[in-house]
Amino acid sequence: MSRRYDSRTTIFSPEGRLYQVEYAMEAIGNAGTAIGILSNDGVVLVGEKKVTSKLLQTSTSTEKMYKIDDHVSCAVAGIMSDANILINTARVQAQRYTYAYQEPMPVEQLVQSLCDTKQGYTQFGGLRPFGVSFLFGGWDKNYGFQLYMSDPSGNYGGWKAAAIGANNQAAQSMLKQDYKDDITREEAVQLALKVLSKTMDSTSLTSDKLELAEVFLSAGKVKYQVLSPESLSKLLVSIGLTQPAAEVT
Amino acid sequence: IFEYNGSALVAMVGKNCFAIASDRRLGVQLQTIATDFQRIYKIHDKLFIGLAGLATDAQTLYQKLVFRHKLYQLREERDMKPQTFASLVSALLYEKRFGPFFCQPVIAGLGDEDKPFICTMDSIGAKELAKDFVVAGTASESLYGACEAMFKPDMEAEELFETISQALLSSVDRDCLSGWGGHVYVVTPTEVTERILKGRMD
Repeated sequence: MSRRYDSRTTIFSPEGRLYQVEYAMEAIGNAGTAIGILSNDGVVLVGEKKVTSKLLQTSTSTEKMYKIDDHVSCAVAGIMSDANILINTARVQAQRYTYAYQEPMPVEQLVQSLCDTKQGYTQFGGLRPFGVSFLFGGWDKNYGFQLYMSDPSGNYGGWKAAAIGANNQAAQSMLKQDYKDDITREEAVQLALKVLSKTMDSTSLTSDKLELAEVFLSAGKVKYQVLSPESLSKLLVSIGLTQPAAEVT
Repeated sequence: IFEYNGSALVAMVGKNCFAIASDRRLGVQLQTIATDFQRIYKIHDKLFIGLAGLATDAQTLYQKLVFRHKLYQLREERDMKPQTFASLVSALLYEKRFGPFFCQPVIAGLGDEDKPFICTMDSIGAKELAKDFVVAGTASESLYGACEAMFKPDMEAEELFETISQALLSSVDRDCLSGWGGHVYVVTPTEVTERILKGRMD
């Protein structure tokens, strides 16, 4: 029903919905899950890697985690090519702000300006919306650590814990149960990995299916660290989510 | 216009290391208004740029370079090589060919395999690559003479520091628009040493 209203992105349906935006969100529902948790001393972002073929060149670049600026990074769910464009836009916007004001861009302003770009594609131009949702984690001196979730419509919200991508409803409800306001960064890492393991299809988690990144303060500067596969494996073993590799004699 | 604020910059190549030094005076023609002005900026651990000439243009040019370099770092996930950076600076300066930045940059860095690289350029981007030393600023003529006399190839970090400091201090003494001490960075593959020199405080 109301199929006639689907093809134009910039038109409302009679029920007052924007179909293209909703279809974009459908596309994201097929992508790998990403979870973000805000803790009192940092932000934790975890992502499930969908493409895990042995043939894939594992270079240093990441599939789901990206650095936007020294103090802000993001996790992606959805169409990767759309994500790359938006990440580039976000990076340039952050640098332009720093050039003009000589200080790092506040996280909310960065999210807002990126969402304004996304919104533009739902209102004019006749182009389809971006099929990406983001989880932004960052720090600024006004509000400390923050986590924001944004979707193809250009809506964004600040969250204490959020999930995007496949099974995000299930992940979100699990997070609601287990999240405590004064959670530390270590506990947040464990919680994120536990929730992700329950929502993922595969039986056990291995470090090559995941990406974990943390944003925290170290010596007064914001650090963004993506865990290496080795440290990730050790972490998974210590939480008890993977069987330790059999000893090679 | 190049002699409005006063400046002295020199960079020298040593054995697997380099040193870059500047004076610290900021003046408005004959009046000194600051004695701790920073002319040398760090782009990344193995790349430094010093900007001589008009102070406002130097600051703006530096901010533009930070903008470009940060985006490069995010996109390429690595630091810029000094040779690439020099080309970037040259291109930026030439963009303003008919309304230039009144700056003379001095670029010094460790490139592939930690090979030292220095270069300078004029205010519209003409690169001058040198193997031994480069100079810029109002004191450049005395600096040329001092460096030519004192420079030896393949100096170690400590000796390089002494040489560049002596060359800088003696040259700025002959130039009324630069002086008030010196700021020297000596960079080796493992560490960066920053030292402040006390000279004739005038």
